[in-house]
This record gives sequence, structure tokens and C-alpha cells, in this order.
Amino acid sequence: MSEHSPIVLVVDDEIQIRRFLRTGFELNGFAVHEAGTGAEAIRSATLRPVDLVIVDLGLPDMDGSEVVEHIRSWSSVPIIVLSVRSTEAQKVHLLELGADDYVVKPFGMAELLARVRVALRRQMRAMSGEPIVKVGPLIIDLAARAVLLNDKRLTLTPKEYRLLQVLAQHAGNVVTHQHLLKEVWGSIHMHDTHYLRIFVRKLRQKIEPRPDSPRILVTELGVGYRLAQTDNEGENGAWDTAAAPAKTDS
Amino acid sequence: MPNAMKFDLIRKELPGVFLTLGLVGVLTAVLFALVWGIGLSHGSAVYLIPVVIAATRWGIVSAVVAAICGVLASAFFFYPPLYSFRITDPQEVLNLMLFIFVAVVVSQLATRLKRELEMARQREIDLRDLYAFSRRLAVAFDVSDIHAAIEDHLTTVMQRKVVLFASAREATKSSGRRAGIAVPEHVLAEVAEVASGRRDAAGGVTVTSQGGEAWLIRAVSPKSPEFGVIAVNLGRGLKEGSDELRIRVDAVLADATATLERLGVAHAISEARMRSQTDQLREALIGSVSHELRTPLASILGAATVLSAAPALAGEKKLQALVHDVRDEAERLNNDIQNLLDATRISSDGVKPHIEWAEPADIINSAIERCQHRLGDRRVVLNLPGELPLIRVDPVLVQQALVQIFDNAAKYSPSGSQISVAARARDGRMTLSISDQGTGLTATEQPKIWDRFARGERHAATTSGSGLGLWIANAFIAANGGKMNADSDGPGLGTTVAIELPVMQAAVPQLESDADE
Repeated sequence: MSEHSPIVLVVDDEIQIRRFLRTGFELNGFAVHEAGTGAEAIRSATLRPVDLVIVDLGLPDMDGSEVVEHIRSWSSVPIIVLSVRSTEAQKVHLLELGADDYVVKPFGMAELLARVRVALRRQMRAMSGEPIVKVGPLIIDLAARAVLLNDKRLTLTPKEYRLLQVLAQHAGNVVTHQHLLKEVWGSIHMHDTHYLRIFVRKLRQKIEPRPDSPRILVTELGVGYRLAQTDNEGENGAWDTAAAPAKTDS
Repeated sequence: MPNAMKFDLIRKELPGVFLTLGLVGVLTAVLFALVWGIGLSHGSAVYLIPVVIAATRWGIVSAVVAAICGVLASAFFFYPPLYSFRITDPQEVLNLMLFIFVAVVVSQLATRLKRELEMARQREIDLRDLYAFSRRLAVAFDVSDIHAAIEDHLTTVMQRKVVLFASAREATKSSGRRAGIAVPEHVLAEVAEVASGRRDAAGGVTVTSQGGEAWLIRAVSPKSPEFGVIAVNLGRGLKEGSDELRIRVDAVLADATATLERLGVAHAISEARMRSQTDQLREALIGSVSHELRTPLASILGAATVLSAAPALAGEKKLQALVHDVRDEAERLNNDIQNLLDATRISSDGVKPHIEWAEPADIINSAIERCQHRLGDRRVVLNLPGELPLIRVDPVLVQQALVQIFDNAAKYSPSGSQISVAARARDGRMTLSISDQGTGLTATEQPKIWDRFARGERHAATTSGSGLGLWIANAFIAANGGKMNADSDGPGLGTTVAIELPVMQAAVPQLESDADE
């Protein structure tokens, strides 16, 4: 993936979880730091540079969301939250606090790795100022404000483009309904989810090969949308991808 | 205070006294006419008539008034010298004294008769109330029904505000307002004392609030604390009346307690309490056990996925298969635990949907994606019309219901078969139907599938499951204002499960054009 091994800080009070995460990450060419408490996590993140933080929500000394808030106050390092199947409102809250993504426990290693790679790639793109986002057959050129599907230029209305642009800026990560509504329609329409539904429908007609089973602009029920950027192979999500032969791309 | 009470008393007697005076007046006029017309001389005995009437109708005061008026009228009109209250004949004086004596005795007897009649009538009312009370108790469904019945009964019978507290906790928790009646703070404190058994209140405790209102507090039954503690508002400053009232309270409570005991209500109450405590305990246990089980499950599942992708196992087909088994079974266990958690959620505090505008296709796709693994090689065919309306639902709940239906369809249909999903909107409702080519339903199975822990008997031995799935799905759909229906042409002919949801298309506002930015 890059010259040096990316460093992941794993914050979880369960030693078994930390152990399998460490093994899983190391097998895939990551270096791992561990922390068992929120305080330890914050100290560790300040002392040594890390490329990505994985935080469990139930920590003995503080809530995981506090760790997210704390780290986000001085760092833009990608943060992925591990939660039990919780209410969607809590996920939205975490994303608003600055988490980049969340994975629901129990999860498969492949699912987490996919999210981690997406988050790292986004971080890299943000730092290098790379203006081009590729999602399958779709190419979004943020600098030229151009959208190409199978190398054919698409005509989008200004609001459709704005919607796609916001999603592309966070390509691979979930963007909450509220964030999208605010960015595209302004904060007075923060709760008019139906605007979003109708425009997503229109946008999918234009960018999805099969609009009724979308693969590019995917829905996170009750939370938001995500531009489904996956790590190289064309699959995303469920842990059945874990059944696929291991890909070592380190 | 005493002045006011005297005034009250006088006002109560006044109508009777006036009527008595009228009666005596009329009688005197009639007698007067008779004396002049027929030449009748001694009419005093006739004045016993108003005395008896007054005594039976209006009580002793009116009777005495009648007697005195009778004596005066006789003396004035009929005894010589006429038109003067003086009486000269000693025989007449004796007659009058006799009259007074008879009048007093008769009025005493008549008044007692009247009081006994009244008591008999009151007794009859009490018995009728008691009967109504026991009838209501007989149909009481739970403890709170029984308590409400006791409270209402006491209020009716005593004609006073009565508040019943089932326990000391209820008194301390209560905000001072119960059944529309404001109960003062320190009365509540006293109730809590009595209910917790710290104070012996067999005979009752009287507390006077700042407003001067007296409250009588006592246990409904000294023997059975299950019946709770009552607080009776005795009203303002009823010092001498309160003893009488207390006796009445005792009598009413004795009757009520006898009824309660006869019906075995104490036993019923404590049994119901125990049952609800057991329920709570079970819910709490399921909740915490499920949580405790999921934590290690997360490690097992995670570790299995790491192992399955480990380079060391890359060529080991058999070991790979084992690891996959671990992963699949852990996933299954996780689903079962999730079902238990959902069931606990449904039965303990209900499902609270977060309603928003949702895209039906998104919900269906996301459910299919979550079931991908369990569906295996069964083909899912989508048949969605192009312009489906948006729906106002909690998309996550509907998705979870769909997951249960897909799960069921996969469980009871052969691998390689087809599962088709269709949607249509009509008349303000949207129907999603999921049809499989599986084992179908027999006529006897059809109505039972929505029951909690329902399992098809034909397949109980060959398929695993808790029987919670469709029950959960049904509860989730119901929480969204929808309903579910299952249909089958018969065993082996597949099942179609339909979900009907409200659409409310009229509520979708017209969007302004997006051409301008």
C-alpha cells in the first residue's frame, strides 16, 4: 500500500478483541498499538503518530465517544468506531462527533479491513489534494466538476452534482442525512429527509448501472449514504468476503 | 367554629319546624271552626296528630315544637278564659300535662322509629354497594384493578375523598396528586410510615394539614398488608363528628375486608405481584445474559475471520472448512441472541420507531444484503415498479422484519430455489410480498405462525430456530402502523408473506425545482 506500514491504534478493553485485531492487522501489513482504556488511548495517540484509530464504545473509564471527541479536537487522523448493534441515532451522533466510520460488533476482519483501507485512502487523498474519486465505473473529478460514467460525461443538475460532490469528498465513508441536507439544501432543511430520498433516486437513475439495486451510491439505513469505494476488489460489506482467499497487498 | 356548626344545625331543622307550625296552624283553624260550628269543647288531644307527624317526618325538634304549639293553641283558643294563655280549671291543667307527657313519649318513639328506618335504608345501600364492589372485584383483572375497586368503593360508601396507596413506595413516589385528589405532603409521609409497617395504625392515625383538613390514615386491613393503606379526607375541623366517622370507616373497612378475604383477593394480589416480578426478572436476565454472550461472540467471530484469511491456512481445505463452521455457527448464535434481545425489547418496553421518509427499495436491498450469507444460493428476484412512493416508517425496523422473513424463507425452501420480492402501492398502502418455493403452510399452521415460540411441527426436528422470528417481524411491522399476512397454497407449494405499510403520499410536499442553485 505504501512505503511504511500504516500504524493502527486499537482501543478496546477486551483483550481477546485486541488480540484478534492485532493478528488480523499484522497479517495484512499494518503495525498495531494497543490501548485498554480511554485515557491510555488519548495518551498513546498524543505520544506517537498513528495513521488510524479504532475505538470501542464501551470502555471502562470513559465512553468511546469521548475518546473520539478528544482526539478529533487536535487531530484529523481517521477514526473508526466499534459499536454493538445500537440505535441509529447513536451512530449519527458518533459521525457528527468526527468519527469517520463505524463497524457493528460482531464483525468480520475483512469488513473492518475494507473500512480501514477506505478511511486511509481518503486521508491520503485529502493530504495530497487528489481531485479524482473513482467508484467502479464512475469517475468524479472534483477539480473540473466533471462526472464520468464509463468514460462518458454525465449531465447533472447543480444540486445533484453538489450531492455527489459531498459524498465524493467522503468517498467510502458514511455521510449522515443531516450533513448532506445541510451541505446541499442549507441548515433549514436539516430534517427534510424526503428531499434527499428524491434526489438520491434521480441521481441513481443517472449513475447506477441498475438503479433498483445500487452498488455505487449505497444506503446506510437510518444513518445516511456512502459512496461505496471498496478496497480494489469489487465487493463490499458483509463478512462473506472473508471467505475469499486472503489477499496480501502489503 | 361552634357557632357555624350551630347555625348549620338550625338551618337543617328549620324547614321541619316551619312545616310543623303550618300544620299546627291549619289544625287550629279546623278545630276552631268545629268548636264554633258543632260546639265541640276539648280539642287538645287532636294536637297529638301534628306531634306524631312531625316526629316521624322531621325529627324530635319539630315534634317538641308541635307539642308546645299545641299546648299554647289549646290554652289560647279552647280553654276558658278564651283568647288568653291562662287556664283556670285544674282539670284542664292536668289534661294539658297529660297531653305534654304523651306528646313527648310519642315523639320519642316516632323519632327512634324514623332513625331505625334510616339505618335500615343505609344498611341496604351499604349492602348494595358492597355487592357492586364484590362484583367488580370478581372481574378485576390485575392488582391495580383491585386497588381501584377498593378506592372507589370506599369513596362511594364514606362520601369522602379516599385515596388508596398500594405500598409505601407508591406513597413516596406519588407527586401528591392521586386520582385527581391533592394529597398534602406530610399526609403522604405518614402514609409511607404506616404502609411500611413502621407505625402501627390498626385504629388509624389522624393528621391535620396546614389547610385545617383532617386526614384519617389506616391500613385497609390490619391482617393483610396487601390491601394497602387508605387516606380519608375527613374535611375541616370535624372534631366531634370524626369519632362517628371513624366508627363508620371501621364498619365499612370491616365489610370490605371481609369481602376481599372471601374472594381470596389477598392471595390473588400477592400472586400477581410475584408473577410480574418474575417477568421482570426474566426480562432482565435475558437482557444481561444476551449482552454477556455477545461480547465473547464478537471475539470468536472476529478470530475466526482472521484465521480463515490467514496465509498459513491458505492451502488447508479441511482446516478452512472447520474455521468456516466456527464462523457460521457463531454468526447463527449471534442471530439467535439478537432475536432474544429483540423479543425482550418488544415485551419489556415496547418498540419505539424512529419514523422518517424512507425509500422502500433501499430497505429491501439492505435486508437482502444482510441475509446474503444465509440465503446461500437461493436466487432473489426483485420486482419493483419504477415509481414506488416513499414511505413514512422506521426503515431499520422494517429492514429487520424483512431479514426475519428472508431468513424464514431460506430456512424452509430448498437451495437453488427462487425467492421473489414484489412491491406495489395502492389506496394509500404499500404491500411488499416475499414469496418462496418452500415447504408452504398447512391450514392448521397458517394461523399459528405469528405466535411467540411458534415452530412448524413438520420441521421442528430438521430445522433449528427459536420460533421468535416471525413474531418479532410482526411486532416491528405493527410498530410502523402496518400489518403482516402469510398465505400458502398448501404444503410444498411455497409461502407468500405480505407486509402492508401506510404510505401517506399526500404528505409528500412538492419539491421546488433544483435547477437553480
